[in-house]
Amino acid sequence: MLYSARSLHRLFLMAPKPKPHRLHQVAGTSLQSPVKRVRTMTTESSFKDAFAKYAEYLNDLNDKRERVVKASRDVTMNSKKVIFQVHRMSKYNKEEILEKAEKDLAAVADQYMSRLVKELQGTDFWKLRRAYSPGVQEYVEAATFCKFCRTGTLLHLDEINASLLPLSDPTLEPLQLNILDYLLGLADLTGELMRLAIGRISDGEPEFAKRICEFVREIYRELSLIVPHMDDSSDMKTKMDTMLQSVLKIENACFSVHVRGSEYMPLLGSSEPSSFLLGVSDIEL
Amino acid sequence: MRSAFRNAYVSLSRSLNPIPKSSSNSRSLRSITASVSLSFLLSCPQHQSFRSFCSSSSMTGAGDSPAPNSSPSLEKQFKEFRVQLEESGTLREKIRAVVVDIESATRLMHVSLLLVHQSRPIPEVLEEAKAQIGVLKGLYSQLAEIIRDCPGQYYRYHGDWRSETQTVVSLIAFMHWLETGNLLAHSEAEEKLGLNSSEFGLDIEDYLIGVCFMSNEMPRYVVNRVTAGDYDCPRNVLKFLTDLHAAFRMLNLRNDFLRKKFDGMKYDLRRVEEVYYDVKIRGLAANGGTADQGLEGQS
Repeated sequence: MLYSARSLHRLFLMAPKPKPHRLHQVAGTSLQSPVKRVRTMTTESSFKDAFAKYAEYLNDLNDKRERVVKASRDVTMNSKKVIFQVHRMSKYNKEEILEKAEKDLAAVADQYMSRLVKELQGTDFWKLRRAYSPGVQEYVEAATFCKFCRTGTLLHLDEINASLLPLSDPTLEPLQLNILDYLLGLADLTGELMRLAIGRISDGEPEFAKRICEFVREIYRELSLIVPHMDDSSDMKTKMDTMLQSVLKIENACFSVHVRGSEYMPLLGSSEPSSFLLGVSDIEL
Repeated sequence: MRSAFRNAYVSLSRSLNPIPKSSSNSRSLRSITASVSLSFLLSCPQHQSFRSFCSSSSMTGAGDSPAPNSSPSLEKQFKEFRVQLEESGTLREKIRAVVVDIESATRLMHVSLLLVHQSRPIPEVLEEAKAQIGVLKGLYSQLAEIIRDCPGQYYRYHGDWRSETQTVVSLIAFMHWLETGNLLAHSEAEEKLGLNSSEFGLDIEDYLIGVCFMSNEMPRYVVNRVTAGDYDCPRNVLKFLTDLHAAFRMLNLRNDFLRKKFDGMKYDLRRVEEVYYDVKIRGLAANGGTADQGLEGQS
């Protein structure tokens, strides 16, 4: 090294005085003078090898992340469709609407969630969480939404994870959603339930709305206890605020049905429905 | 509030009156509502059957009583969640405690390395800084021990030691460069810190960011070396940084923190170029022996 440095310097002196600007322009390219190459043979080649390795690592990671983001986006899109399908439910077509929604949901898991399985092996599950989390949350939302409309109960994380088991072949470790994404999805669920409750009330199913109200309250209570323990609770906190708004909306809707309910029949005979409406709005104010 | 009112009105008028037609004639309105109530009564059997379907599927028919069938299992699930999240919380606290120690060891190392700018002999400076590497090694093995209990969750807690590790890398890479004039490779960095990628590794992005931090230190070093009379230093540093910058350009970066740090590297490069130019143009670095002297000073 010492020898080469010395020889370099000699050569360096013989070479026409390099202008500093030219020197750096040239350095990045392969046009380097033989002088330089002599000196840096060792460092530069090890640089290149090492960085080729890092480049490969980064390329693979970015490709994988891109695939996961795409799969997540597909899951989101199709889970949203399932949710809309459930909202089309009315008194009379409940059975067939829910059947179709459940079928669609199974298709989402089958076609899109399955794509996540092989990407999220080992440490990638947590490494790429930010890439897949939105899709998974939406999926949780759709799945719990279907389940609630079917049975009035909460779909548990264990049950979702059990349903995801058949997606992967036995050689891979199965995709098991984590608690955080489940809870975040659950927080979004209340928004949909709020819409459903309002829809059910206008459709003449106030009992259903009441049931939703109780359910949402219960979830809100449980989540309030859990939020402080969650990893990144800032996201969850904003969701909790929205959730409280949803709960209030459902409660107010149930309230007006309750108040109105007792006057329902007498009102039919009344010739001035508008005065009654104004009464409601007064109370709400 | 207005919108709430409107909603209430719409929902009410819908439930009362499926044909929402505003009529000034109250008589016709009454006849419509009457027909509605009639049709409502007629549709009642259907409604009843629907309701029974609801209650059979555990939808509480009465509505007033709290839903008893879902609560216990629901509560149980959330209780389990809480237990699990609390466990991960205590784990995180343990990690943070170790990370605080890593941070203070790093600070000691940094402080002793700062003497390099005051032209202290490099071997002396390095010796003091190296003492901390052993400490860091022990701390990282503690971290690995903690993470061993939850396999595959390295990246769940990664954020807790991320920036500290980047600083560690930048310092040991700088030390390595002072010692050998070469770049500390990722595998060498892992070795120095007693990490291995099968268990608790050094994330490559963290390593690369650490290297970028190291490059931030270069301009200051060059300036102070020149002030101390080492006129050949700028050329060596410039060569090293140019190579490093060229190597970084081989990477396809995303628009993230690493990209930002890499973009910053060119300013370090430019600053070193300026110093080199200043020295060169005054003919300070142009005499024979200094090149070797500078190299010897570094080895």
